[in-house]
Amino acid sequence: MTVSKKIVLIGHFGVGKTSLIRRFVENTFSEDYKVTIGVHISKKTITIPEGEQISLIIWDLEGQDDIKKTRPSYLLGTNGFIYVFDLSRPVTFQDLNSELSFLKENYPKIPVKVVGNKMDLVNKIYLKEHQTIFEPHVDYFVSAKTGSKVEKLFSKLAEDLI
Amino acid sequence: MLKPYLEKYHTNNFQYILVDDSGCVLEVDNPIFPIKVNDKIQDTHPFFEILNNLILIKNECFEFTCINLEFNGKPYVVDLTFRPQNNQENLLIIENLTKHYNNYQLTAQTRNESIINSQILVLKNEYLQEKETFKNNFIANFSHQLRNPITASIIFSDLLNNSDLSTEQKNYINIIQSANKDLKNRIEDILDISKIESGKLILVDKVFNLKELLNEVAIMYEYMANKKGIDFNFKIAENIPEFVEGDQYRLKQILNNLLNNAINNTTKGSITLDISLNYKRAKKVNLHFEITDTGCGINKEHLETIFNRFTNLESDVKIDRGFGLGLSIVKYLITEMDGNIKVESEIDKGSKFICNLSFKTSNYNQSQKEELLNKQLLKLEGRYNVLLVEDSELIQLTILKTLASTGLFYVNIINKGEELIPNIIDKKVDIILLSNTIEGFSAIDLAASVRNLSKEYKKTPIIVLSTQAYKEDIKRFKQNGINNVIIKPFDKKNLLEGIQKYLKKSTD
Repeated sequence: MTVSKKIVLIGHFGVGKTSLIRRFVENTFSEDYKVTIGVHISKKTITIPEGEQISLIIWDLEGQDDIKKTRPSYLLGTNGFIYVFDLSRPVTFQDLNSELSFLKENYPKIPVKVVGNKMDLVNKIYLKEHQTIFEPHVDYFVSAKTGSKVEKLFSKLAEDLI
Repeated sequence: MLKPYLEKYHTNNFQYILVDDSGCVLEVDNPIFPIKVNDKIQDTHPFFEILNNLILIKNECFEFTCINLEFNGKPYVVDLTFRPQNNQENLLIIENLTKHYNNYQLTAQTRNESIINSQILVLKNEYLQEKETFKNNFIANFSHQLRNPITASIIFSDLLNNSDLSTEQKNYINIIQSANKDLKNRIEDILDISKIESGKLILVDKVFNLKELLNEVAIMYEYMANKKGIDFNFKIAENIPEFVEGDQYRLKQILNNLLNNAINNTTKGSITLDISLNYKRAKKVNLHFEITDTGCGINKEHLETIFNRFTNLESDVKIDRGFGLGLSIVKYLITEMDGNIKVESEIDKGSKFICNLSFKTSNYNQSQKEELLNKQLLKLEGRYNVLLVEDSELIQLTILKTLASTGLFYVNIINKGEELIPNIIDKKVDIILLSNTIEGFSAIDLAASVRNLSKEYKKTPIIVLSTQAYKEDIKRFKQNGINNVIIKPFDKKNLLEGIQKYLKKSTD
């Protein structure tokens, strides 16, 4: 039997949440930015290494510069979070500490993966310069554009949910 | 009365759906969305999988706003209310608000795009500023490194020129001297550009003898033009004031640049420097300068960009020399002096650079003029004890040779900072020449160590030989007990002028 798990993507607007999902679900990418309002929901079934099938119900939430502004109904029944920020825009990760603390306090049992998207736009020196912010929190540096580590991110989270 | 209108215009945007506890559709009212009886609601769209969890929480009301759904490829944006009941009849109310939310989407799109663009602009600006600072520091450091070798090259070729050489050797030396001068000017130009870009180039207004400056410039370029077989015409209107207040060094730089270009670009004919008075009012004089040549001229397309930076890098042989950095500095200096410059040119006929510059008028009269000149004339008698603190052997030798050639100095050379104090105490030192590049010591600290000795050392002149040429560097030196700063590269004249004034002071 296939298990369903609800995954919610959150983060500032324009960080590439929709693009990450499109890369994962449809394996496509567009440079055009279309603002998400409310929430889009998509689904993808994957098989984890143990052979089990998981149906990921992926909630793509509209971007918020403050996680507290997220509509609580969107988070009902969430099994896993992906917190996305844009590596190239510091404003999207400057409050990373408080944003993640909010999740930890309010959803203590729900796993969170923290990802820096748009890896294709930055270099190693840049990552090193921001090491103090990134190192303690970030699970993956990904790129929806190139597809780098996107698959890995979702499948690792899926494994953690079983 | 309303009924017929309601029937005509009212649109019902609501769809009511009853589902059992497994999500199977029991009843539907208004077919806005293609959800039919017996459908499993969870299979119609992944959103409804959330109901699996909620359906068991009876007698509650769950509201979801702005949910993007898609049925048969058609997008909808809806608000949803879900009311699970005890009797296996769970009510789902969907309100179609697609039009309303699509309008909101457009507003959000514009807002978010403009916020993101402004953030990106700020980042780009920060990045450019960092790059600019790095570049300017790089230029400053690079020119700093070049100063010692160029100083040595200039002075030794001068010394060599005064020794017994064959005509052929003299010619070679002339070429070296000219190349040295060129190199020195290019470095100054590059430094000026970096100063301009970092806002560090500041004009220094002082009273100066304008006519004398113009005459000096004319004599020099007449000599250079004649050497090239070109005529030089110098026209100066009689009503030009003798003394004005302004930055004489920068005025000279402007004229040198324009006249050098004229000479470089002209092979036959003449060069004319013409200065006239535009007007004199409100304690200001406005002068009109024209530098005309009969040279190769400038392409029309280049005329617009000729004052831009690095025009010189374009591969047009005709404007290959002298333009570029020099002219962009000229343009900057003239603008800073509240003036303007334009150029007229025709290929193979020649060019004319026209500029108007303002200066403050000055009340200097003839006797004050003589006094000013007298101040500049120095008479040295006897021998002076110079203590030179310099760790570059090249510069040591350069200074030693230069000072020795005058027969007026005894030079004691040390190359370590810690040797300074033992070489002053109980020894007669009339002047200290201090390099700013002594390993392990800053010139300011060394000067302070002298000043902190007993009272008699407070007045010993300390002159710094500096590779740092920024105005604030010089200011910093002077605020820290240093009497004067001689910038490397220097020549014999710079060196002697730089120390003579202080020798006079110490023997007073």
